[in-house]
Amino acid sequence: MIGREVAWRIFSAEYNSSRLEIKGEGERAPSYIVSPLGAMVNRVFLVGVLTDLENIGTGDEPLWKGRLQDPTGNFYISSGQYQPEATAALSKIEAPAFIAVVGKTRTYSPEEGTMYVSIRPEKVRIVEARERDHWVLETCKATLRRIDAVTDAKEMAAPTVDELVKLGHSPALAEGVVKAVGHYQDVDLGRYRAMVVDALKFLLPEYQSEMESEMPSELAQRPEEVEDEEAVEAAEEEREEKVMAIITKLDKTGKGAAWDDIVNEVKSLGMDRTALEEVTNSLLDKGLIYEPVLGRMKRI
Amino acid sequence: MEKEEIAPHVSEISRVLGNKVSEEQIEKELDTYLNLYRVSLETAKRSVVRKLGGDPNALSKGVQKKLSELSGSEQSVDVLVKVLTANRKDIEQNGELRTLIYGLFADDTGSIAYTAWDADRFPLERGQVLLVRNAYTKEWNGKPQLNLGTRATVESQPAESMSLPEGMDVPIYGPSTAKVADLVEGMNSVTITVKILSVETRKIESQEGARTFFSGMLADETGRAQFSAWHDFNLKKDEIVLIRGAYVRSWRGIPQLNFGERAEVSRVKSPFPPDLDLSRPQPRVIADLETVGGAFDVLVAGVVVDVKKGSGLIQRCPQCNRLVQNKLCRLHGKVEGQYDLRIKAVVDDGAGSITAVLNKDLTEALVGITLEQAIKEAREAMDPEVVKEKIEERLLAKPLEVRGNVISDDYGLMMIVSEARMFVPEVRAEAANLLSELEGAQ
Repeated sequence: MIGREVAWRIFSAEYNSSRLEIKGEGERAPSYIVSPLGAMVNRVFLVGVLTDLENIGTGDEPLWKGRLQDPTGNFYISSGQYQPEATAALSKIEAPAFIAVVGKTRTYSPEEGTMYVSIRPEKVRIVEARERDHWVLETCKATLRRIDAVTDAKEMAAPTVDELVKLGHSPALAEGVVKAVGHYQDVDLGRYRAMVVDALKFLLPEYQSEMESEMPSELAQRPEEVEDEEAVEAAEEEREEKVMAIITKLDKTGKGAAWDDIVNEVKSLGMDRTALEEVTNSLLDKGLIYEPVLGRMKRI
Repeated sequence: MEKEEIAPHVSEISRVLGNKVSEEQIEKELDTYLNLYRVSLETAKRSVVRKLGGDPNALSKGVQKKLSELSGSEQSVDVLVKVLTANRKDIEQNGELRTLIYGLFADDTGSIAYTAWDADRFPLERGQVLLVRNAYTKEWNGKPQLNLGTRATVESQPAESMSLPEGMDVPIYGPSTAKVADLVEGMNSVTITVKILSVETRKIESQEGARTFFSGMLADETGRAQFSAWHDFNLKKDEIVLIRGAYVRSWRGIPQLNFGERAEVSRVKSPFPPDLDLSRPQPRVIADLETVGGAFDVLVAGVVVDVKKGSGLIQRCPQCNRLVQNKLCRLHGKVEGQYDLRIKAVVDDGAGSITAVLNKDLTEALVGITLEQAIKEAREAMDPEVVKEKIEERLLAKPLEVRGNVISDDYGLMMIVSEARMFVPEVRAEAANLLSELEGAQ
């Protein structure tokens, strides 16, 4: 039986930390990337925010490069003429957008000992925030299953696939975990557990203000190539996100947040009524909030 | 290499060459390659056959395969297997009575039905581990079967050279207690507690005359299955029974529970939660279905990651209902095809994937398009692919829950869907629960 490769759910932080590749030998044998938590990945399913998209090829020979953000970092995707379906779909999409990607793993090793991973999409679809949230939840669950399996494997003197399967882990995961614990020394499980906790908080409105305070540090980690124009955009985006968070927080009845309350709340951010209007207009334009009744703002 | 060792290879080469070359000449050639030029046996045999004008590919390759790799068209293959079941059967062939043995072999990748065409040469017994050489495979009912014919040989192997996944193995330490979701083709001596959901009396005609048996549906908290009782246990609808000594056989790829007069059936108190509706399937993980290979009426949920070729507006042969491509039916040639709608969607839950096949009614309801509209849209666009694109637009990357019978083929699991629905997951509630569990554990 030549089963179809399963589409793994994996956060970018775990995926991008992968340094082990298993190349298929022989005709049509699949290759895999083994993540630090033992995901043995050939195909992935991702949902995130497409933040950058650029055709670095030509019109005839397009090569689209994009960055897809999840709560833990970025996936890098590239799609050229050999992925006609995904390339055609990408040419019609403008960043930013929520997109779902079914794709295959790709590796790039410029020199011995280094390995960069990216995704070559098979399918690309514009989706909504709802699908993204679902993906984040599913990926949290999948990551926890892997953390459990690695924890079990670490307690064994010499972990084997059979032993892990007996403990209830799936055969595919057991195989990956045995390979991972042999290759990665001392994987920091605490870090991955904390990552899952943060991703779960990302889904829950009651934690969003807490997440806000962490935003600047994340922004500071953005690559250096960010130019002035982008910095301005980033600052705008940051303000928009803060206002969104305030609207969510004030919307206790589900009927929307009252305008006057929002004005009071944004004073602490150093924003006046005019500045707030600019931000809400932009959010209304983007379709992220709407006005259910006059004088009230609500998140979509 | 000594003369005695060479002899079987000489006769094999002779066979490949159609016995047109004398064995002495073959032996001389082979001896030169092996003992003068010292090439490997395989190369030597191929070279000799080629030199003497034969086809080296006709030589037995001695390829050893895993059971899951068998395609159903191997002419000569070696397998290392454990005998799960061995049943004797007398058949009449050319007026002569002969005994054959049939049953199931297994290795760590799966199981396969086999027939050993000579019970005297292959005295197979349950539990043996064997290296079978030069067997051949044929496809029957869409699945490969292994045959041990005149060229086959079997060599006994130590029992520890084979370890099978749990649930699949021949029970050594007595009967195994199973749940409905664990039932796998080939299991024997199963002990199981179930609720009888339905039972009916049936009759079959066999060579020994008419025989009455009882069939129906049973369930536990993990799932449902069909059963056949080959003895009258006076089973009644809705009663809870403990069955000992049952066995599992597949019918059209779906495992069924069988129990005959050697089985024991006793009435027990219900171990199931009273508010659990056993007549509804419980959600299953797709990877678990991969382990058992097939299942009756299950529920799975995942995300649609692909809408396969052959989805959308298709044409079927009016005589046999087969797919018509380029106005041609595979069986009836040029026919006027009848339009139909279907979806073959890959549903993936991150640990396993299954191809869900949806018929016209389900497709219409899920996509919100009727067959008539689909035909119209395809005509207007002059391209039937627009219907498939519409299906992709609606389903791709979305969560889908499907219910139905599951079988497996060469490409993995397949479900004939009886119910399908797109669902909105309860993300926040689940995330909050998971978070409090995690923070509680810290």
